[in-house]
Amino acid sequence: MAISSATKAATDALEVNRAPVSVGAQEVHKWLQSFTWDFDKNRTKYSTKYHMANDTKEQFKLIAKEYARMESVKDERQFGSLQDVLTRVDAANRVHPKWNESMKVISNFLEVGEYNAIAATGMLWDSATAPEQKNGYLGQVLDEIRHTNQCGYINYYFAKQGQDAAGHNDARRTRAIGPLWKGMKRVFSDGFISGDAVECSINLQLVGEACFTNPLIVAVTEWASANGDEMTPTVFLSIETDELRHMANGYQTVVSIANDEAASKYLNTDLNNAFWTQQKYFTPVLGMMFEYGSHFKVEPWVKTWNRWVYEDWGGIWIGRLGKYGVESPASLRDAKKDAYWAHHDLFMIAYALWPTGFFRLTLPTAEEAEWYEANYPGWYDMYGKVYEEWRARGCEDPNSGFLPLQWFIENNHPIYIDRVSQVPFCPSYSKGASTLRVLELNGKKHSFSDQWGERMWLSEPERYECQNIFEQYEGRELSEVIAEGHGVRSDGFTLIAQPHTSKDGRLWTLDDIKKIGCVFADPLKSL
Amino acid sequence: MSIVVSGGRRGLTDPKIAAVILAAIPDQPLETQRKMNYFVTPRGKRVNEYETLCCYTQPTPDWIPGGLDWGDWTQKFHGGRPSWSNESTEMHSTDWHRHRDPAFRWHALYVKDKAEEWRYTDRFLKAYSADGHVRSIDPVWRDEVLGDYLGAFGFSEYGLFNSHSSATRDCLGDTLRMSIAMIGLDKVDNAQMIQMERTFLAKLVPGFDESTAAPKKEWTQGSIYKGARETVEEIWQGTYDWNEILFSGHMIYDPLFGQFVRREFFLRLSAYYGDNLTPFFINQMQLYHSQTKGITKDMFHTCLAVDENFGDYNVSLMNMWSDKWLPRTVNALKDFMGIFAKIPSIAGVTDKAAIEAALGRVFEDWKRDYADPIGYKVDTAALIKTVLSGLK
Repeated sequence: MAISSATKAATDALEVNRAPVSVGAQEVHKWLQSFTWDFDKNRTKYSTKYHMANDTKEQFKLIAKEYARMESVKDERQFGSLQDVLTRVDAANRVHPKWNESMKVISNFLEVGEYNAIAATGMLWDSATAPEQKNGYLGQVLDEIRHTNQCGYINYYFAKQGQDAAGHNDARRTRAIGPLWKGMKRVFSDGFISGDAVECSINLQLVGEACFTNPLIVAVTEWASANGDEMTPTVFLSIETDELRHMANGYQTVVSIANDEAASKYLNTDLNNAFWTQQKYFTPVLGMMFEYGSHFKVEPWVKTWNRWVYEDWGGIWIGRLGKYGVESPASLRDAKKDAYWAHHDLFMIAYALWPTGFFRLTLPTAEEAEWYEANYPGWYDMYGKVYEEWRARGCEDPNSGFLPLQWFIENNHPIYIDRVSQVPFCPSYSKGASTLRVLELNGKKHSFSDQWGERMWLSEPERYECQNIFEQYEGRELSEVIAEGHGVRSDGFTLIAQPHTSKDGRLWTLDDIKKIGCVFADPLKSL
Repeated sequence: MSIVVSGGRRGLTDPKIAAVILAAIPDQPLETQRKMNYFVTPRGKRVNEYETLCCYTQPTPDWIPGGLDWGDWTQKFHGGRPSWSNESTEMHSTDWHRHRDPAFRWHALYVKDKAEEWRYTDRFLKAYSADGHVRSIDPVWRDEVLGDYLGAFGFSEYGLFNSHSSATRDCLGDTLRMSIAMIGLDKVDNAQMIQMERTFLAKLVPGFDESTAAPKKEWTQGSIYKGARETVEEIWQGTYDWNEILFSGHMIYDPLFGQFVRREFFLRLSAYYGDNLTPFFINQMQLYHSQTKGITKDMFHTCLAVDENFGDYNVSLMNMWSDKWLPRTVNALKDFMGIFAKIPSIAGVTDKAAIEAALGRVFEDWKRDYADPIGYKVDTAALIKTVLSGLK
């Protein structure tokens, strides 16, 4: 149309219709796919063996401003609840102490996952070629910043208003001392950001988010609420509203590579590795946090795991991807075994190493022991009896001079660290599936607890060279390590970590630990 | 009572459960230090909420300066490249956690601002259309300049947006990472606002083409944006150092080319052509530019240029990068001068003297705000002369 006639047409149209007109987000988004252009250097900086299709669409079609509107509305509800009614009812001081401690770990460790997912989805934004697919990942980049801030807000809230701020107030500094940290970094940090970009997407979105955020972010809210914590459901359920889009991103990653020949060769192997990577840590740690980090119990972890991981994810979600050649991971069967006992094994080790934590742990009470035995027959003979012995030897009392770690040494039950997952295990005292495998490379010994991690290491040992805590701390006295890692309260000598949450129990100090004379040793050196 | 809780009973509201919980809670808080992240060095007098929620979320070991963790990465790239490493940039820092967004915006504050801008945009467009303002826009300006050349500028913003992907992935600090992602989102917002304006015009003006085809052709094949396109491509995908990406995009290209195109071309000229629609969108972009300027000046000037151990070295590197990226940007502006032959001329507005004055404002602003703080010697008159040689 000629310019003048267009102007006349506009003028004529306006004489007839002066209705207010705006532009909707979808009217802008429909052009997004054409925003890019081809040029010589237009290729990703992060190599992948897969080819992500140029015409991949996203399921949630957001533009920047609409994204902000949506999130801002959710923020208003969430922060309004926290800052208004929950503060007025003093909610942070109505949480069971055991759960208060669990949230030191859960919120901070989830924060690490969310934070690293910023970088992970930045990498995917770079790797994708289709603007819509980039846009989906971009939305997730911003979401992950939101979630990082939200998780921090939980610790911030508990520190400011709750019953024991230590650990909540400095988790980002003290978390690195103990045995749970490195394994957490494997699943929530490096597993998301270091590797083939699509492999990282599978770790983050297809497994981490589609599988484990359900128990981690949804199921946890039931446990929190049962134990008096309404802050966590307020924040975590708001986080979960974004996770749906992230799962969709994972789905679209698979769709984008579905027609690539590489997918038929590698996708199921990458999925299996990613699933095992994630489950190796989350299965025991989540079970431990829920069951041993609570007073009131919602349901046995194995049931939660079975519903969310085995049936919902392994069956339904992966089933939906079946048309793209995706199969349930071969390691799912072994994981199912871990779901029953691995968290009990891990708690035993975590409790034995309690001084290295940034939280207080509690041995099961008599009524909890009954609950464990009822739901996990055989629990008492394996674990309950030992906890009775530890308690009888005064493990909760600083005057006793007894750390449960001594029990493992006295009974010749060495604790190893799996090189690939960085998860500690005790092969000689375990009901889970862990078995000790030791391999040597260039004069250095490496321990493994399962065939799947061992296979990953054998294929690419250069990816898994990280020292474990026993290697790092070898020859160092325990109280020195704690002091160096800032594991003390503001008085400068009382430990943040404690082996009980009793309001009447004495708190351990650096001197109490020093008196015991515990020195770290690397168990691999004695093999 | 039983420790098994079913039926959605809540510890906060169920009297029996609440009684057990309250009995277990210590009579006095166990810790007096209630400030989270109390160990952070604050930018102001005390640690603020932004610093509480953002600082040290980055879990780097201490061999990356500022890190609080120890040891190696638990999983590396194929071949053994680390998750994050000092080699990802030529810049050096004593502490990669020092940067602060001057506005201290964490996510909630950032989206709140943008959400308000979206709501106001919606209300503005409705009022604008109901008022019939579109009738006053010069048709050549509207159909050719806004349709094609503003549309083509959207690709510059979109390309710059994409340059933030690898910087978001590779940078070495938490506040850095969050700032980079946010200023990246602002760039795609700019591109989307440009398309929004074009779609809006298509709703009001029968025959106005909202398609991106003509702008893309102008961007990829035309002469006016040739230098800009080549520079943006190099920033986006030709550059691997995340600091160089940010420096080239936000300390050289955008404060010169972006500022001239947005502020001195579209914003300044639109009123002369009866266009009071474009300023609405460009002013939002200018707000983002201003916020981004605060962020990137903090990164490069407040933190890296005065680093107690590496400041001199960093300043030298910034000077070298300026030498590398300034000629390309000047060339982009020179190519852009061709646009003045495409618009109806207005004396004192689009003639050479007016253009030279506009270039003078942009280059002098850049010299004062970006070049002088790093001691970069620049002859703005010579640069302007080079740019003006592109006038047809």
